[in-house]
Amino acid sequence: MSGAEDRRAPPPGRAAARRPVAPRLGRGLLLAAFSLLFVLYVAGPVAWLVSSSLQTEAQATAVPPNWLPPEPTLANFEAIFRAAERVVTYETRRQGDPATGGFLPTGAQNLLPSLRNSLVVGLWVAALNLLLSLTAAYAIAVIDFRGRRATLYTVLATRVIPDIALVVPLFLVIRALGLINSLAALVVTYLAVTVPFTIFILISYFEGIPRDLYRAARVDGCGHWGALRQVYLPLSLPALVAALTFAFLTSWNEFVFALVLTQNVEAQTLPIVISGFVMDFTTSFSFVNAAGVIAIVPPVLLAVLFQRYIVSGLTAGAVKG
Amino acid sequence: MPRLGYDERAAALLVFPVVAVLLVVAAFPILYSFWVSLHDVVLTRPLRRPFVGLDNYLRVFADERFWIAVARTTVYTVVTVAATTVLAVLVALLLNEAFPGQRLLNALLLLPWATPSVVNGLMWKWIYDPSYGLLNGLLVQLGVLERYRAWLGDPDLTLLLIANAAVWKQMPLAALLLIVTMKAIPEDLYRAAKVDGAGAFRRFLHVTLPALRPGLMLVLVYETMISIRHFDLFLIMTQGGPGDASFTLSWFIYVETFRSLRFGTGAALSYILAMATFLLSYLFIRFLGRRL
Amino acid sequence: MATIVCEGLTKRYGAVTALEALDLTIAHGEFMVLLGPSGCGKTTTLNLIAGLEEASAGRLLFDGRDVTWLPPHRREVAMVFQSYALYPNKTVFENIAFPLRLRRTPRAGIERAVRAAAEQLEIAHLLDRRPHQLSGGQRQRVALGRAIVRNPAAFLMDEPLSNLDAALRLSMRSLIKRLHHQLRATFVYVTHDQAEAMTLADRIAVMRGGLIQQLDTPEGIYERPANLFVAGFLGSPPINLIEGRIEDGAFRRAELRLPAPRAEPGREVVLGLRPEDVEAPAPHLIPLAGRVELVSPLGSDTYAEVSGPAGTSLTLRVPKGWRVREGEGIEVGVDPARLHLFDRASERRIA
Repeated sequence: MSGAEDRRAPPPGRAAARRPVAPRLGRGLLLAAFSLLFVLYVAGPVAWLVSSSLQTEAQATAVPPNWLPPEPTLANFEAIFRAAERVVTYETRRQGDPATGGFLPTGAQNLLPSLRNSLVVGLWVAALNLLLSLTAAYAIAVIDFRGRRATLYTVLATRVIPDIALVVPLFLVIRALGLINSLAALVVTYLAVTVPFTIFILISYFEGIPRDLYRAARVDGCGHWGALRQVYLPLSLPALVAALTFAFLTSWNEFVFALVLTQNVEAQTLPIVISGFVMDFTTSFSFVNAAGVIAIVPPVLLAVLFQRYIVSGLTAGAVKG
Repeated sequence: MPRLGYDERAAALLVFPVVAVLLVVAAFPILYSFWVSLHDVVLTRPLRRPFVGLDNYLRVFADERFWIAVARTTVYTVVTVAATTVLAVLVALLLNEAFPGQRLLNALLLLPWATPSVVNGLMWKWIYDPSYGLLNGLLVQLGVLERYRAWLGDPDLTLLLIANAAVWKQMPLAALLLIVTMKAIPEDLYRAAKVDGAGAFRRFLHVTLPALRPGLMLVLVYETMISIRHFDLFLIMTQGGPGDASFTLSWFIYVETFRSLRFGTGAALSYILAMATFLLSYLFIRFLGRRL
Repeated sequence: MATIVCEGLTKRYGAVTALEALDLTIAHGEFMVLLGPSGCGKTTTLNLIAGLEEASAGRLLFDGRDVTWLPPHRREVAMVFQSYALYPNKTVFENIAFPLRLRRTPRAGIERAVRAAAEQLEIAHLLDRRPHQLSGGQRQRVALGRAIVRNPAAFLMDEPLSNLDAALRLSMRSLIKRLHHQLRATFVYVTHDQAEAMTLADRIAVMRGGLIQQLDTPEGIYERPANLFVAGFLGSPPINLIEGRIEDGAFRRAELRLPAPRAEPGREVVLGLRPEDVEAPAPHLIPLAGRVELVSPLGSDTYAEVSGPAGTSLTLRVPKGWRVREGEGIEVGVDPARLHLFDRASERRIA
């Protein structure tokens, strides 16, 4: 402790200022240094992805790399959104100059349809997931019925089965149902993945709602449906927002099931089409990176928008699970 | 049997949809998968599916690729979980402090979490790129490296580089969990430790770390369970290569099932992986739960 | 309004029995208090009457109609809770109106009924507020309003005053008593507070371990406690209990000897003496002497902790006008008719 500074008269009304200056400065520097490292680590890779998506292919593949786009261009994004207008053939691909970013992958025109598929599946999953989980979570959290524990454990068990163990049998089941390569197959599958987690979030939230409110609602004249609608629903909006966001994000980001259960542009989602580009060696980097940026934007927007709900929901759900 | 009251009828009705969906999309496939693992199911030969008992399992255990995959998966999981946990503790310590901009950093933390794993894979693959990648560019510009390298092509580095991508995406959730645990530590404990003359490092060692135990436990179990079954990054970045350098169990399952179309052995492998996951998390809780 | 009859009402949770074959008839318009420590089964009883829990065995009748399997929203009972249980997202008006809305009461009727209830409870000026803007006492008035706004078969109250501070508790207590007089309805009131039970009840059911220990008027329970538990639970400060045995028609413990003519000789017993049942010594009273250890003046009364004969330690109310000092001797008189005798093994009162 630096006694010299301690003896100086503290500025009035600033409790913190009475602290010795040297350690405070040290702490500030330390925090600043770590904050900088943190930002570089977390945001750096994405920043580079965005940066290279705003460059022409020649700029993006320059040696040494252009850290920032020398002349930012939206050409890659334009190429994505206009891909459907051009038929990509061997000739047109040859014509496209790799150095200008006009070098399109064969599946380029699939990007927009797959974006649509991802949105449709995500919205359906979010809505159905909430509807299903809401009633089940209410029953498990609130009603005392025989089989309550069994139900809870069933839900829990499906949560701990690794996805990869489900892929093979699910493929066979979906195939037997004739649903391969359909959006419905994806929706149903993602429900199985998201519903258990949502149920956990909602249960832990419902258990935080005072039991007396439930009792009051029941004697006031609510049946179970009424208590759910009149008491639990209005009081758990944050959890509902979190659940909707998770379901959408999970389905938007999911890869393995979509890879196995879909075959073409009818049902393929964005991650599948993008992964196709990545593994195609002829695809221009700037184009793929632009596609990646498009895939990142919706989930990141949602995450920023609902940050508060997501953090509380994530931790509640995980602690329970 | 006692009669069904209003509560039980209502509960049955409310729970039915979920149970139905989970039975069809989760429970039935799991059981079906067990049936498949006991039969010789090959998709190119749809009519003949002879019962083979445990042959699929035995064949898997006799396959040297299986043991390679076990080794790769182990290395990958250990590296990923260890790095994620250590990094998450550091990040949690940073974000648990109050300083200007801390809220912004908290928001930023969700960026990797929200990034789709496919984009994560493509992003790092691009960074590692042998001819144009940022990693090469950076190291050469810094003078660390003389000329560009094929990072993912180096069998000694592949797993570590993939693990790095995984850690980047997984660290935020782990850090969030730890922050929540830290926030629950009573301020009085720190004040008591300060009065007792403990410096910052000792306070971390004697107050923060012990109180963090349940959070760390959760992080370890959770991260292990998801790392051991990672698949997306392997498909995007290396496809199991170079050679068998990133030939993990989940990649093995994929190749066996959807490239070789041997569903029987694929299902057996899936079961082995699922059981291993269960066993591991059980052991974690059983033995680390107390000591950590 | 209704007569409520419990017949062998039982509630089990797995191996734990919360309520064991309860038989209880609550008359129409009666104020019944269920009194007991936590875990005694009083709240379970209330929940069963409300229909919030389903009985494991037994029957429940409202005016002779079997309602055992009727869910709460079909039973027409109103309930008031310790935590008030106001809907935080609704205004006071909507809270009170809620039961009526669920019954599809016409809008004008709701408006009128809510206003009337609010006037009666003096909360008419709060109707637009939300629960979090109210004080505890105001919240409980709203909760009462939500109960009286409809005409329920019975009012069930689950420790409604336990969250209020002492002064408020007294005024709310008289408010509830007034409401009972005005409404002439059946009240079932759960509490662990003996003062509430004594002041409010027409009859009290003292409960422990899922069983009714005694069912009687407040006076009856105080004057003739059926067993040691009831004797100890009611009365403040609590009754003095002295172990001893019956010899030659008297209670004996070492040199202490008190007449007990009706008890059978040789029996191991516990003698109960309420602190307030001592007076200045008089010829018809039995003298009791000891040394004052601690004096607790309460203003209205003064209590003394006295080390009495035979190594007993007694709490006694000092007779009016006396001055006692710690360390000094004291001698009081005890009316033998006011002594309570209990069998030590069965803990039951000896008649």
